Amino acid sequence: MPRHPDVPAYAPDIYSTQAVLDPYPHYAKLRELGPVVWLPKHKVYALPRYAECKAVLLNDKTFTSGEGVALNSLTNRFSRGTTLNSDGEDHTGRRALVAHRLTPRALRTMKEAVECQAAEIVDAALARRDVDGVDIAEALPTAVVPDLVGWPQEQRKNLLSWGAATFDVLGPLNARAAAATFRGLGVMRFARGVVRRRSILPGSMGDDLLRAADEGKIARSECPALMIDYLVPSLDTTLSAIASALHLFATHPGQWQLLKNDPGLIPNAINEIVRYESPLRAFSRKVAEDTVLAGTALPAGSRVLVLYASANRDALEWENPDTFDIRRDASRQLGFGRGTHGCAGQGLARLEVQAILQALVARVEKIVPTGEPEWGLNNIIRRLHRLPLELVPA
Amino acid sequence: MKISVDHDRCEGHGLCAVQAPAVFDLDDDAHVVHQFEGGTVPPEHVEAARSAVNVCPVAALRELT
Repeated sequence: MPRHPDVPAYAPDIYSTQAVLDPYPHYAKLRELGPVVWLPKHKVYALPRYAECKAVLLNDKTFTSGEGVALNSLTNRFSRGTTLNSDGEDHTGRRALVAHRLTPRALRTMKEAVECQAAEIVDAALARRDVDGVDIAEALPTAVVPDLVGWPQEQRKNLLSWGAATFDVLGPLNARAAAATFRGLGVMRFARGVVRRRSILPGSMGDDLLRAADEGKIARSECPALMIDYLVPSLDTTLSAIASALHLFATHPGQWQLLKNDPGLIPNAINEIVRYESPLRAFSRKVAEDTVLAGTALPAGSRVLVLYASANRDALEWENPDTFDIRRDASRQLGFGRGTHGCAGQGLARLEVQAILQALVARVEKIVPTGEPEWGLNNIIRRLHRLPLELVPA
Repeated sequence: MKISVDHDRCEGHGLCAVQAPAVFDLDDDAHVVHQFEGGTVPPEHVEAARSAVNVCPVAALRELT
């Protein structure tokens, strides 16, 4: 799909190792170029600013997900049948199967258990004092999510690696995506086996799914993809937010003090953490019909790239966007997406991050960086890979 | 300022009730209740109500101009 001659282009690969590790200068250049920027390397119209990202997410009739949200056609073909990758009634039906599990009401029953687990995790970390923040960040999602989804005990050790792989293949078809393909197939094979053997934990979301198949509401063949759909996005994303929270409060001691003085700021702080270090870089949408966005004609069949992480740093929308401040109203950040495909699990994610921050605020005086943090390499997820910290007890 | 609610879209995430408790609540079925539905949101709640519109994950709330 050739670009319109009037649309500015940005030649550097925003998925190169350098750009994946340090994406924000690239996003700033994209925003400067305009509201719609052609990426010749990926043959996609990037949307680096807030207004266009939000408009596209809210217009799911023109900007569709049914032909995939990845940056490569291979994944877009293989991921059909997931909630992420569907439109209209198909999507609503699939989403309704689990939405009731994720309402505040349903989550209320889990709240106490999640808070207990968070307290145990923080107590154990405090006992060690010198910790890798990523271990703390991993502990809660991996304790909470597999049970909720009903994933059998076997193979749980693979879940994080499978999750990262499933995200990697949603980027462009680069070396990272290629390396992840094999692991991505591993999770699909395992999910098929789980559905075939019915080795899903009773009373879980996966169990709901199999019952829906028993009742003929969905095809049994849809179940493995949907199992992955529930599990994979719930681990790395939340892990990313918790690790970034630790990193941000370690490097902004004044903000940590504000949070300690007023733990009522925690819900707002979560929005600011997700705004400042958005766990998901970007997903794409297919343009279903000829349309005009911010004065740019977009032909049917082309793709746009919704850069959540750039929209959340757009100076046209945010005052001092590169400043981390938990007092700002960051509720309109786009890190969880928006509209019909807005993150269904965000109530759970918020519950987990809130529980960890509450436990930390009550027990930790200071979070002190003790070494250089290392960012992980993933096409979709921005998350820390190593975060050396000292937790000073209160 | 008025806010419309698309009740078919609401999934009961409840974030609006956190942002603007004076304007939005959830009923026993975790469905949104808009205290000023069809009417005007009082000026003192406009800012919070706007935050609620912004935070709704499924865009079920819309500000009417």
